[in-house]
Amino acid sequence: MGTFSRRKAGFERRHWLFAIAVLACVGVWFANVVLDEVRPGSDWAIGYGAAALALLAVAAAYGLRRRAMKVASRRGGSSSAWLAVHVYGGGLFLILVLMHSGFRLPSGWVTWWLWILSWWVVLGGLGGLFLQRWIPRLLTSGLGVEAHYDRIPELVAGVRERADKLAAQCSPAVQEFYLRSVAPELQEPRRRALYYLDVTGGIQARLRDFTHLVQFLSHEEAESLRDLSRLLRTKLELDAHYTLQLPLRWWLYLHLPASLLLVVFVALHLVSVFLY
Amino acid sequence: MSEAEFGKTQLKQLEQYKDRWSSLGAQTGLIGTSDQLSVEQLREFEIFQDYDDKILEKIRQDVSVATWQEGAVLFEEGTYVDLAFFVVEGEVEVFLQGVAGVAAPGAGARPIFDSSRTVVSLPAPSKPAGEEKPTAARGTDIAAATAVPKTERSRPSGTITFLATMDFDLPRGVATRLGPGEFFGEIGALSGWPQSVTARTATPCRLLQIRTPALRVLKRKSSALTERLDKLYRQRSLSAQLKNTPLFSTCSDIFLEALKEVVDLVSCEGGEVIVEEGDAADAFYLVRSGFVKLLQRFGEGELVVSYLSKGMTLGESELLIDGLDSWQVTAVSVENAELVRLPKEMFGQLVRNQPEIEAQLWRSAADRIREAGYSRRNIAYSEFTQVALDQGLVQGNSILAIDLNSCTRCDDCVKACADTHEGRPRFVREGNKYENLLIAKSCYQCRDPVCLVGCPTGAIHRSGAGDEVLIDEEICIGCATCYRNCPYDAIVMHETGIAWPEDAVPTGLRGKDQKLASKCDLCADTGHGPACVSNCPQGCAYRVGTLEEFEKLLVRRV
Repeated sequence: MGTFSRRKAGFERRHWLFAIAVLACVGVWFANVVLDEVRPGSDWAIGYGAAALALLAVAAAYGLRRRAMKVASRRGGSSSAWLAVHVYGGGLFLILVLMHSGFRLPSGWVTWWLWILSWWVVLGGLGGLFLQRWIPRLLTSGLGVEAHYDRIPELVAGVRERADKLAAQCSPAVQEFYLRSVAPELQEPRRRALYYLDVTGGIQARLRDFTHLVQFLSHEEAESLRDLSRLLRTKLELDAHYTLQLPLRWWLYLHLPASLLLVVFVALHLVSVFLY
Repeated sequence: MSEAEFGKTQLKQLEQYKDRWSSLGAQTGLIGTSDQLSVEQLREFEIFQDYDDKILEKIRQDVSVATWQEGAVLFEEGTYVDLAFFVVEGEVEVFLQGVAGVAAPGAGARPIFDSSRTVVSLPAPSKPAGEEKPTAARGTDIAAATAVPKTERSRPSGTITFLATMDFDLPRGVATRLGPGEFFGEIGALSGWPQSVTARTATPCRLLQIRTPALRVLKRKSSALTERLDKLYRQRSLSAQLKNTPLFSTCSDIFLEALKEVVDLVSCEGGEVIVEEGDAADAFYLVRSGFVKLLQRFGEGELVVSYLSKGMTLGESELLIDGLDSWQVTAVSVENAELVRLPKEMFGQLVRNQPEIEAQLWRSAADRIREAGYSRRNIAYSEFTQVALDQGLVQGNSILAIDLNSCTRCDDCVKACADTHEGRPRFVREGNKYENLLIAKSCYQCRDPVCLVGCPTGAIHRSGAGDEVLIDEEICIGCATCYRNCPYDAIVMHETGIAWPEDAVPTGLRGKDQKLASKCDLCADTGHGPACVSNCPQGCAYRVGTLEEFEKLLVRRV
């Protein structure tokens, strides 16, 4: 079996394993409910809590793997497999937490925090997963340019410089058009919500003025104007990257601190259980 | 020499001349290299007498006369050299390492020669289960090792280069001497293949050294030189090379000796039409080096239906199938390509006398027809083949392709690369984009790595029969020859912040900042596969070696 087939088979296997694990959990919990075994402090509830703790540790280990790539490359397994464990383990963690609490709302402030943070972390993670599936496809669907997020301001500055030089060699009419309609757009990278709906940012509408003007120009001038329109298109595509790559980076700030806080509260919970 | 004496252009030319020949300074045993030769000085040499001033003016920056002391190693078996040598005075000895050979004098603690570099890699034949994998071989073992099963089709391996260079068809342990008026190194220089022998000066020598661009010009402008080089090639190499192609590997030596006398040697420049669709099919072709694209008329235009690389053949469908008297494709060389041409009548005799070859050719013909049909039904496939030829993807053994449909731009691939290589990443997540794939600026691990050509110390080399092209940092002098040669911007020069010592050789380096070439090495010697692939959380970084694998990754917009 080739690498590509193996990858696909691995992906399908992970889905099946997760589905079986969820069904097993729900089945066990349902049996406990029928037998009236799940009560706070019961052996089953403690067992669910311990399983949730183990899954939290496994899910958190993914973060450590990302920070120790040199070691992980040698004997850590692939990062994508770790991510799958992180995602599916995180999902199961929430189910086990709910089973641990008997699907009841928490009573104390620590458990309230635990409950809220568990939901926040898992839903935030799923939100991130959705973004990671949606935005790359959006970026590939209509853009010709590929750019590093951190380099976008520099790239825009380069585009502006080239456009300024090009416009300076054109006739006053083109220069005026450039200063009025194009130059303000090239000043800096801009984020627009529109890109989430239309990744091209309505570029055709923006280029209509160029199409109109070009018919009044000489061959050379028309060529320069076409170059300017290409530069504007590039800039707008860079804007699309600037807008769309942002949530790919920022959602982690919603996920990570909450995850760390969750670990702290789990530790507090454990201490309180053992002490009291 | 001042600006008053020379014009600006002349000074620039002089600078270029020094630059082009400076890397030779690293060679031990070199007494000196001449100043730039004038047209009149060039004409004093026999081989330049037929050329007019314009041509000589054009090539003179790429020609020098070097004086070597006795015992100097000019090049070693397995290394890539972008020079041809013409003996003016003295004698040069060529031999295969191992028996007559000794390690290069003065090459330092670690000899330039690395036994793994001359390994001839073979195609992976489809063999019955349990049959042992063919092993790579050197020297005299080549013939035995290339005895591939008769079922092998005439297409080279998808992963490794199968054809070794054969500048000299020498048995191991036998040295031959070349005297004044003799050429050597020209096949390696023209084809970009590694040298098959070691060349060492047997006496103090004066050698005319001609770089590849000049050699190409000279060959193009003089039928006499072309004939001379072809004759040398026939004498020294052709039968061994034919023997090393899967198609002819089962033929007897007597047969190949006879065959080499009747074939024509064809050299093409990039874009040259070799055969035209609709013309009478009058010959069979075998590609010796380079790439040839095959086009078919489609509507008002032409469609790329396939391509040929080293060891592949053209003309079998037309010559084998009754009723196909004309070329079904137009063949155009993508870059400089070398082919062997067998006239139709000879091809008929070959097929009649060698039934196993006929069987292979039928399989190859069927593949060609299938590919052409597939390309006509799938225009996107044809378009991608064209892109792959333009961007050199057909050259790569292991190209880093990133599926942008899944890539979250987290840069973990680059970070993993940096972590594995002391903080210096070997690639950037930038490059050409095709549909959903980003072809990262990372070494392609080319089948014919042009970056190896001209490395003065042999620091850049191919590791054994593997895909990896590696740089030995201990002997890299940072001359940037490989960096300039790489057509894909995949080699980076790093500043080391250390100055060369005052006794450094070549002397031109003394006091200058040391630089180091670095490139993707597929994480060789780390005990794991490429870190960029294993550390991609989305699993969207792939190492790809064939167009079929690219096809599987491509998601085409309709």
